[in-house]
Amino acid sequence: MNLYVIYPEITVLVLALALIIIDLLLPSEETRRPLGYITILVLSILAISLFWQYHLTISAYFYQGLFYYDNYAIFFKQLFLLAVILTVLFSLQYIDTMKYSSEFYSMILFALTGMMILASANDFLTFFIGLELMTISFYALSGFGLTNKKSSEAAIKYLIIGSLSTAVTLYGISLIYGTAHSFDFAVVCKNPEFFSALGIAGMMMITAGIFFKMSIIPFHMWAPDTYEGAPVPVTGLLAMGSKAAAIAVFMRILFEAFFPAADYFMPVLAVFSAICMIGGNIAAMKQKNIKRMLAYSSIAQAGYMMVGICAASPQGLKGVLFYAFLYVLANTGAFAVVTVVALEKKGTDYEQFTALSQSAPVLAMVMSVSLLSMAGIPPTAGFAGKLYLFMAVVEHGYLWLAFVGFIMSMLSVYYYLKVVRVMYTGKSDGSTITISGAVRAAVLISMTATVVFGVWPQYLSMLTDFAAITFLR
Amino acid sequence: MTIGITHFLIISAALFCIGLYGILIKRNLFSILMCIELMLNAVNINLVAFNHFLPTPNLSGQLMVLFSITVAAAEVAVGLALIFRVYRDFQTVNIDKLNSMKG
Amino acid sequence: MSYFAKIFILLIAATIFPIMAMIVPLIIQPRQPNKEKNSQYECGVDTVGRNIIRYRISYFLYAIIFVVFDVETIFLFPWAVKFNDLGLFALVEMFIFAGILAIGLAYAWKKGALTWK
Repeated sequence: MNLYVIYPEITVLVLALALIIIDLLLPSEETRRPLGYITILVLSILAISLFWQYHLTISAYFYQGLFYYDNYAIFFKQLFLLAVILTVLFSLQYIDTMKYSSEFYSMILFALTGMMILASANDFLTFFIGLELMTISFYALSGFGLTNKKSSEAAIKYLIIGSLSTAVTLYGISLIYGTAHSFDFAVVCKNPEFFSALGIAGMMMITAGIFFKMSIIPFHMWAPDTYEGAPVPVTGLLAMGSKAAAIAVFMRILFEAFFPAADYFMPVLAVFSAICMIGGNIAAMKQKNIKRMLAYSSIAQAGYMMVGICAASPQGLKGVLFYAFLYVLANTGAFAVVTVVALEKKGTDYEQFTALSQSAPVLAMVMSVSLLSMAGIPPTAGFAGKLYLFMAVVEHGYLWLAFVGFIMSMLSVYYYLKVVRVMYTGKSDGSTITISGAVRAAVLISMTATVVFGVWPQYLSMLTDFAAITFLR
Repeated sequence: MTIGITHFLIISAALFCIGLYGILIKRNLFSILMCIELMLNAVNINLVAFNHFLPTPNLSGQLMVLFSITVAAAEVAVGLALIFRVYRDFQTVNIDKLNSMKG
Repeated sequence: MSYFAKIFILLIAATIFPIMAMIVPLIIQPRQPNKEKNSQYECGVDTVGRNIIRYRISYFLYAIIFVVFDVETIFLFPWAVKFNDLGLFALVEMFIFAGILAIGLAYAWKKGALTWK
């Protein structure tokens, strides 16, 4: 038994259990801040150690094909680790105000384990376990705002729709099992009865279930409410981690398990991605709450990433990986600012952001850069990401899709700049927001990385090339 | 006439549809949770039936059922706790009354 | 005999049996009603107030924890059946599994989920 390949998962899980035990041993009036530092430290070491795991040789299956350990999986594991590290870093203060802060850390780590398992899933069994570990942790996490009525509403809505999608996915898996007699992706794609009625129904149900998690329109109805009601760090993680994990596993399933049908999938995906870009961007325009606006914007971002999947080429996949990475960076910046504002001003509507540039110039600047990156304005990384995606899809012959994406990016500038305008105009009430060192570090990391990868995209693009090529052989 | 895999599939599909119908029309959170359980159990019937009628014996279907049962239990535990919280916050378990967020 | 005939016989038997159980007493029972006999509880104290009342669900958490722990034991069954073939590694793994469950129980205990409040 080779335990070496699952050392990231084991480390995170042991850390989560250790935090629970430490919490039980600490006196209850003691601050739980050190637990956050331990989390950040261990996860950072883990994320850096994963750089040595990239390999040039063809990757191997492990545990009777349950687990696949390739550069693609390692890339996504690092991405999730980065998202969690930055989230914990900027929300240390926010978590301190919660009643159950150590449980919050452990829950985030359990969700992280689920995401990491998803990135390596090569079997519907592993896929199912990873997916559920992630989502059940997120159900609990979105209900963590104990003083907020909206939080429980958000959590119960997420739970109902999430478990509905779980049931649908699982039904699809059972139908696939009925035709292929196996859960292994490699066996499923060689199945002679692949295009039987059962097989097609199973494929559709699994796809629908994953679309729920990716919050693709029309499977998005939970997303705005859950994003608005959940505690801000959880909203950030839902937007970054949960979505990126769903996309990672969707690409794996599409190009490994459903490979014979991939060509038939592409026009459908193109339509879904167009609906997502149009619907998400238009709905985001009329929002009054920043969290809700970011929810709709994240739906639109999922649409952009689907564009890359439609290309079905190494370039397209590379675009998706690149975009997912900078999407995490931009979102950490934005959600860090929202977290601080939510903590200081007790709200996340546009009014609370009025004249933020006077009370906290750093935050206003970071927010602007992050939003511009999401809109895809040069020289931020968002521009390079969208360029990769649209170039790849045009090569594949979907000129109209690139056109829709381009128009919608232009439209999205409107509501992103609306936030910037609110922050830089209006009368300040004279108060200044003090920013702790951790938040400052998180926002500066995200802003610097956004700008650096925008000006010199080749460094990140090398890594994503490496991850994408070993995957789509 | 012998009972073959079709019968199991029909029962499972019927249970699944009843669960889905219940989720769509029921307004009580507890009923909704029960309907979700019904859907997950329909899947379990499906998996075990497929596994039983396999041409080459393997146990992966039954293994999946074990995991699906535990996951369903975990989901119910979290769901019950959340319903408890919803009742404390809203004094109701009617899902139509949970409308503090719109847009 | 086909499978369905058996099921049909079972169905008929299952329908007839409870109906018979109600009809036979109707025929053979002696009828001597009096006030004592018609009261809701023939023995014991009379009920006070409505029977639909609110009561505290202090064991609510206990029930939730029970659901989870009860179901987790299904992983022990396949392990126990195959114990001889699996060897030492599976034993260690099962101890780890039980250890994780024990941490959960310890957590619930320490946080007071098992006490009646």
